[in-house]
Amino acid sequence: MQKYAVETCGLTRRFGAQLAVDDLNLLAPEGGVYGFLGPNGAGKTTTIRMLLGLIRPDAGEVRLFGAPLAADRLSLMRMAGALVESPSLYPHLTGRENLEVTRRLLGAPRGLIDDALGVVKLAQDANRRVREYSTGMRQRLGLALALLNKPRLLVLDEPTNGLDPAGIHEMRDLIRRLPVEFGATVFLSSHLLSEVEQIAGHIGIIHQGRLLFQGTLAELQAQRREHLVVGVKQSEQAMRCLGAAGWGAQRRDDGLLAVSAATPDAAARINSLLVSQGMEVFHIALAQASLEDIFLTLTGGRNETRRAA
Amino acid sequence: MSLIRVLHAETLKLKRTLAFRMIFVAPLLVAALQFMVVWNQRRPGADFNLWEMISKASLSIWAVFMLPLLITLETALINGVEHGEKQWKHIFALPVPRHAVYAAKFLTALALAAASTLILCALIVVVGLALIRLRPDLPHAGAIPFVWILKHAAFVWLASWLIIAIHIWVSVRWQGFALALGAGISGTFFAIFAAAARVGKYYPWLLPVNVFMEERFTMALLLGAVGGLIAAVIGCVEFVRRDVV
Repeated sequence: MQKYAVETCGLTRRFGAQLAVDDLNLLAPEGGVYGFLGPNGAGKTTTIRMLLGLIRPDAGEVRLFGAPLAADRLSLMRMAGALVESPSLYPHLTGRENLEVTRRLLGAPRGLIDDALGVVKLAQDANRRVREYSTGMRQRLGLALALLNKPRLLVLDEPTNGLDPAGIHEMRDLIRRLPVEFGATVFLSSHLLSEVEQIAGHIGIIHQGRLLFQGTLAELQAQRREHLVVGVKQSEQAMRCLGAAGWGAQRRDDGLLAVSAATPDAAARINSLLVSQGMEVFHIALAQASLEDIFLTLTGGRNETRRAA
Repeated sequence: MSLIRVLHAETLKLKRTLAFRMIFVAPLLVAALQFMVVWNQRRPGADFNLWEMISKASLSIWAVFMLPLLITLETALINGVEHGEKQWKHIFALPVPRHAVYAAKFLTALALAAASTLILCALIVVVGLALIRLRPDLPHAGAIPFVWILKHAAFVWLASWLIIAIHIWVSVRWQGFALALGAGISGTFFAIFAAAARVGKYYPWLLPVNVFMEERFTMALLLGAVGGLIAAVIGCVEFVRRDVV
């Protein structure tokens, strides 16, 4: 039986009238990298805060390694490490002292500090004050704090935010090594598909608080191909026409239509359909792999099934 | 057990901070002021008693003014380090119960206030001995009233627990110094008006100085210490339930 490091059932959270997370059912298998993908404001951070018990869900439950978080947060948090948004560091203390604060809070052995410094390659700068650290070093120290207790589950919220390309590359390498070297499960959130794609085996996509897709990277790539971008002068009319013919079509920000079909045959049929109705088609192409297109395909696909049902 | 771990971590966070330096600076200011006052005394009256004067005056200034401001500053500083980079979210994702985190903050503030008050006691003795040496013309001072000083310092400290509880809650709840300092300064400021009024008996910022008044002594200790503990528990309950965003 497949074991899950993170499991949520019907997880829901509102802020006032706004539904931040809506009936979320996540399944992150043990021992890999799970990429939690969505645009800013989709509900990623709210979800992560609920996974760590920082905020309480209005409905639903979080299970870590099969055990409900609400019942025994403290012992589950012993197995978890987290880096949520920007790292939480004390600028007036050195890197080593920052780790020592967390070590004392954990009641963990002293030796773990040097291990963590070694993993994130900060041993050289450990005795400098964090005030003097670069963004990349701060982010690595934040990761070291999360890694300190050798967690079985590592929760990282946008870990490459604000890093330069070299820093991103370094962080990505580090994250990729974690499951292999420590047997940890990494739950990683990002708004960049390109980033998640390179390190995650499983992916969940969240949009407006709802889970749009969950599965392996291969499954996502299969979804991605079924997508055409069509440019028509009469886009309103074209959307109605394509909808009536059974293709989900969504208008993108740039005015082009995203159509949930991607075979050459379908492209030809769509073209002749639109032209035969007197519309002027100026663009038909396979979609580039942008996250926005995937969202549109996924939401478009959903509208289609709803219509069919 | 977890409380000891959190307290242990708190001590490290104080390293190189203004919060730590202030426990020396605040009593030094009061002692220096006291030294100047007596030093400039031209013609002491017949009833002049050096030890009584400097210990009572120093502890009163401490109780009515310096200690409340020190508490304002210390609580704002020890909680300020957690707001700066949103450390709460890191701490609360660790296997540490939230009430232990709150209790540790309260106990740290109590300890800082106690340490600073003890330093003041030592400085009172130093100032007294220095004045005996430097002003041989002053009437004979008699023995150092160690017991009186320590006993009243302890009363002042106990009566200040309610202010400490209020300030811990304010500075945990809201980030930024403005609100915490505003609360402390207005609390101390209104104490001037409350002092003469009947309400002064219950006014939190007056409790430490009320221990020097016979008719207000019991209420000052009771409301200060017991009320402080109750207020700390209420603050803690609110803190434990809150979302950490």
